[in-house]
Amino acid sequence: MRKEESLVAHLDWALFIVYMILLIMGVATVYSTAYNEDHPNIFDFSQKYGKQIMWVGVSLFLGLMVFLIDSDIYRKFCVPIYLFTLVLLVIVLFMPAVNGAHAWLGIGSMGIQPAEFAKIGTGLLLARFISNVNVKQQNIQTVLLANAIILVPMSLILLQPDAGTFVVFTSFLFVMYREGITYDPLILKVVNSIPGVKFKQTWVGSHFIPILFVVVFLSVVTLLMSNETLEFSWLGDVKIPGFWSVIIALTIFALIMFLILRFLSSRRDRNRATFVVLFGYILASGLATTVNYGFQGLATHQKDRIELFLGLKEDPDGDDYNRNRAMAAVGSGGFTGKGYNKASVSSVESNHVPESETDFIFCPFAEEWGFLGVFVLFGLYMFMLLRIIVIAERQRSSFNRIYAYTVAMILFYHFAINIGMNIGFAPVIGIPLPFFSYGGSSMMSFSMMMFILLKLDSQRRDVLQ
Amino acid sequence: MNFDARKYVIITFVVLVGLIYAMRIFYMQVMDDTWTLRAQEIAEKRKEITPPRGVLFDRNGKKIVSNRTYYNLMMVEADIKNLDTVAFAKLIGWTREEVRQRFIDIREGEGVYRNKHTGKTTPNYQKIRAYPFLKELTLDEIANIAPHLEDFPGFYEEVTSMRSYPFANGANIVGYLSEVNAEEVDADHFYKPGNNIGRAGLERYYEKELRGRKGIRYIVTSAMNNAIEPYADGKYDTTALQGPALKLGVDIILQAYGEKLLQNKRGCIVAIEPNTGEILALVSAPSYDPNLLIGKRNISMNYPKLLKDPNMPLLPRPLSSEYPPGSTFKLLNSLIGLQEGVITPESGFPCNKSVVGCHNHASAGNLADAIKHSCNPYYYAVTRRIIQQGKKRSNFEDAEIGLNLWAKYMHSFGLGQKLETDITGLRAGTIPDAAYYDKWYGHHRWAFSTIRSISIGQGEVMLTPLHMANIAAIIANRGWYITPHFVKSIGKNGPLPEYRKKHYAMVESRHYATIVEGMRRVVHEPGGTGKRAQLKDIIVCGKTGTVQNPHGEDHSVFVAFAPMYKPKIAIAVFIENAKGGGGLWAAPTAGLMIEKYLTRKITEKEREKIILEANFAYKK
Repeated sequence: MRKEESLVAHLDWALFIVYMILLIMGVATVYSTAYNEDHPNIFDFSQKYGKQIMWVGVSLFLGLMVFLIDSDIYRKFCVPIYLFTLVLLVIVLFMPAVNGAHAWLGIGSMGIQPAEFAKIGTGLLLARFISNVNVKQQNIQTVLLANAIILVPMSLILLQPDAGTFVVFTSFLFVMYREGITYDPLILKVVNSIPGVKFKQTWVGSHFIPILFVVVFLSVVTLLMSNETLEFSWLGDVKIPGFWSVIIALTIFALIMFLILRFLSSRRDRNRATFVVLFGYILASGLATTVNYGFQGLATHQKDRIELFLGLKEDPDGDDYNRNRAMAAVGSGGFTGKGYNKASVSSVESNHVPESETDFIFCPFAEEWGFLGVFVLFGLYMFMLLRIIVIAERQRSSFNRIYAYTVAMILFYHFAINIGMNIGFAPVIGIPLPFFSYGGSSMMSFSMMMFILLKLDSQRRDVLQ
Repeated sequence: MNFDARKYVIITFVVLVGLIYAMRIFYMQVMDDTWTLRAQEIAEKRKEITPPRGVLFDRNGKKIVSNRTYYNLMMVEADIKNLDTVAFAKLIGWTREEVRQRFIDIREGEGVYRNKHTGKTTPNYQKIRAYPFLKELTLDEIANIAPHLEDFPGFYEEVTSMRSYPFANGANIVGYLSEVNAEEVDADHFYKPGNNIGRAGLERYYEKELRGRKGIRYIVTSAMNNAIEPYADGKYDTTALQGPALKLGVDIILQAYGEKLLQNKRGCIVAIEPNTGEILALVSAPSYDPNLLIGKRNISMNYPKLLKDPNMPLLPRPLSSEYPPGSTFKLLNSLIGLQEGVITPESGFPCNKSVVGCHNHASAGNLADAIKHSCNPYYYAVTRRIIQQGKKRSNFEDAEIGLNLWAKYMHSFGLGQKLETDITGLRAGTIPDAAYYDKWYGHHRWAFSTIRSISIGQGEVMLTPLHMANIAAIIANRGWYITPHFVKSIGKNGPLPEYRKKHYAMVESRHYATIVEGMRRVVHEPGGTGKRAQLKDIIVCGKTGTVQNPHGEDHSVFVAFAPMYKPKIAIAVFIENAKGGGGLWAAPTAGLMIEKYLTRKITEKEREKIILEANFAYKK
C-alpha cells in the first residue's frame, strides 16, 4: 500500500495526462476514419476502433504491471530483455511475409511486431551501458560498443525489411550525443595519424550527430521543396520558388537564433554565439544551394532514383500516389477543418489515402480538424517531448536520464518522420504516429516505454542508482 | 566533462521541427488552395444531371419537338472478365475487329483529357471509369442486347434523353442539336464535353431556355470511383429542372402542307398571322426530316449528305436567301406615292412599252388597275415622281433626296434590315440609298433613270421571303406590323415584350384601301395576274411577281393575305426557277395554303395536283 501511495504522489501527472489525452484523440480519430455504418458501436471489436480500444486497454494493463514491479529490474535485467527482443527479431525473419516484409509474429491481426519492442530493449541496454561508471566517453571502445548495441537490432530489422524502424534506431545517436559519446575518438584517430597533427578534440567530431541531422533534414526538405512554388495571393500574387523559400526560412531562423543567443548568452560567449550562428547560416545556405543545383545537375537516371526514393516524381497516380493523396487530405482541411467524421479524402471508406488509420492517421485528423486541431496536436506533442527532456534532466541516476532521452528521441523521430510524410517533408517510410496510429504493437510498445519512464521517474528519489 | 549544455541543442531541434512543420501545415491548409482543389478533384466529385430539354408545341397544342429515351451501352474495363469478343461482336452486330478498334478508339478519344485552359491533351483513360461503348441506341436495339448483358460483365445499359420529332416537318424552324465543341465548353460553364447544344433554328435561339437547369450533386467518391455519400449532407446540391415548354405560333398542319406543295422545288412559303405577327408556317424547300439529325450517329451519317445536296436543304431560305421582290414591290411604291402625294388613287399612266417592257393589257386608268395588271411603265412613272420630286434644280441632287426618302419609307416597312425574329440565320436584304449608289456611280453621278429598276422590284433591291410576307402582313393590317416571331409563350409567360409592340410604317392607314382593292382585283377580277389564287368563299388579296433571273428561269412570287377584311393570314410564296410567272405557280400555291389554313379543306384538287407534280429542282 505504501508503494502505491508513493506512486500517486510521485507520478508525473502532467506527462501522464498528455499521454491519456493523445490516446483518446487517437481512438476518436481511428473511430472517425475507419467508421463502418453497419457497426456504429465504438466498442465493436470486429472493427478497427473496437480493437484499438482493446489495445489501449491492454496497454494500460501492461502499464499497471510496470507500476507494480520494482523499477530496479530494468537496470538489472536489461541484457536478458535486450537478448530476448533480438531472439524475437531473428524468429520473425522466418515468419511468412505480410506486405512483403517479415515483420509480424503471430497470426493475423493479433500478431505483434518485435521491431517495436526492440526499441525498448535497445534503449534499456544502451542506458545501462553508458551509465556504467567504468565507461569513458572519449574511449574508442565505448563508441564502438555503443554503436554495436544499436547496429545488431538495426541490421536484423533491415533484413525484414522495415526501413522506417531502421531509421528510427538512429535516434539513439542523439542520446549518445547528449551523453558525450560521439565519433570524435574515431575522427581523432584518423586526423592525428597525420604526422605533426595533434588534436585533443575536433568540433565536427563532437557534434557529428546534430550536424548530420541538420544536413539530412535540410537536404531532404530542400529537395522536396525544389519542385514546388509557394504562392502568397494575399501579398499580391507573390510567387516564391521552393528553393528560395528555403533560403528565406533559413535567414529568418538565423536572425531569430542570433537575437535569442544575443540575449541569453553571457557576455563572454556573445561573440562566439554570433560566430556560430553566422557560420552555421553560411554553411546551411551553402548546403541548400549545393543540394538544389547539384540535384538539378545530376544525370536523369540518378535524379529519377532520388526522386523515386523521396516520392517526388510528378506522377500523382503512380509513385507519388501516397504523398499526393496525403497532402491533398491535409491541405484541404483549411483553418477549422471539415468536421469530425467528415473527412472526404482520407476516410478508410473512400480509401484515397492508403493506411489512413495507421501510418497516415495524421491525414484524417488534419482534414477533419484543420489547422486548429493540428495546432493543438502539435502543442500536446511538443509538451510531451519537452516534458520528457525535463524529466530526463532531473534524474539523479544517469541510467534513468539516458533511458528518458531514448524515449524522447524515439518519440521525436516518429513525430518528425510521420508528420513529415503527410506534408511532403519526409519520404514515405511507414512508421506509426505514437499513441495515435491504429495498431497493437506500436500502442503497447510506446505505452510500455512511457510507463517504464514514469515508474523510473516516480522512484527517482528512492535510491541513488 | 560536462555535456549538460547539449540538452539545448536537442531542445532546439525539437522546437524547430515543431515550428517548421506548423508553418508548413499553416501554409498548406490556410494559404494555399492547391491541395483543397486537389482534394476536390480526388474525392469530392460534382455529378451533373442534365435534364431533358424543353419541348415545343405548335399553335394548336400539338407536340412538334419532344424527347425520347435512348440507351448507351456503357463499358467499365476493370469489370470486364474474359470477354468473348466473338460472341460480343455477334450480339451487337459488329465484327471482331470493329469491337477491338472501338476499345482503342475509346482510349484515344473519350479517354483523353483536354485541359480547358491550355488546350493541352493528356491521356487520361481509366479502367475503373465508365465509357459509352455504343451510344444512342433505340429501345429496339437495346432490347436485343440487354437480356444477354449478364454474360458480359463490365457492360451495362444507361438511359439518356434525345430529341424526337413526331412530325417530319419544320426542320429549318426547329433546327437540330449536336455536341458542343471545345470553344463552347470554354465559353459557357454549363457545357461539358459530350453535352448537346442547339445548332440551328429555335434550338439554337432558345438554347438558354430549352436546356433548363442542370442538377448538381456533390458526392464523396472512393478511390474506386464509387459514390459513398453526399458531400456535406447534400447542402450544396441542386435539383435538375427541365426547360420550359415553348408554344409556337406555327401551325404544323399548314407547315406540313406547305412542304408537301413545294416538293421537288426550291423555294419558300412564309405565312404570318397579321394581327399578332406569329409565323404560321415557314417552309423552306427542299427541307429534310429533322429526325435525320438526332444524335451523333445520325449526324455523322446524314449531315454530309445534306451538306452536299445541290438543292441545299440545310439552308433556311425564307430567312437567309435574298431575292429581288419583283412586281410585288409595286405595292410599296404605290403606298409611298400616295403618302407623298405624288399620285392619287385615280392617277393614270399609259402603258408605254418604250421605257420599260410590259405584257399586253389596257393602260391602267387608276392605281387599283395598275396593280391588277402589274403595269411596269405605270410604276416607272410613279417611282420617278417619288424619286424626282423637283425639290432641287439639279436632277442628281433631287434624286439623292428622293431616294433617301424612299429608302426611309422602305426601312419603316422593316426592309433593308434584319427583322428581330426569334431565330438565327436572318439576313437584312438590301434597300439601296444614295450612299449605296454613290459608291457605284460616284456622288451626284446618278439620277432616277440610272436606278429605275427599283420601281419594279428588280436591280439592287433584295428582300428575304420573310420580308415579303411581312409586307403582306403590313398591308393586311393597313399600316403596321408586329415583328414576325415563332414563340407565343415560354412556359407560363406570354410573348416576349418585343413581340407585343406595333411598328407603324410611314404610310398612313387611309392610303391602304386602294392598294387592298387593287390586290383583290389581281385575284378576283378578269385580267388579274393572280387568278389562280382565287377561292370560292374567301376574298384573297394578292400580288404576283415574276423575278427576272439572269442565271436561269424566272422566279415565281406571290404575296397575299386573306380574308380581305379582318385578315387571318398573310403569305409570301417564292418558287425558284419556275417556268412561268408568279401567277402560274406561286399564286395557286398561296391560294391552297390560305384555304388549308382557313378551312382545313382543299377544294381545288386539280390545282393542287398541278403544283404537286411540278418539278423545278436541280437533278441530284
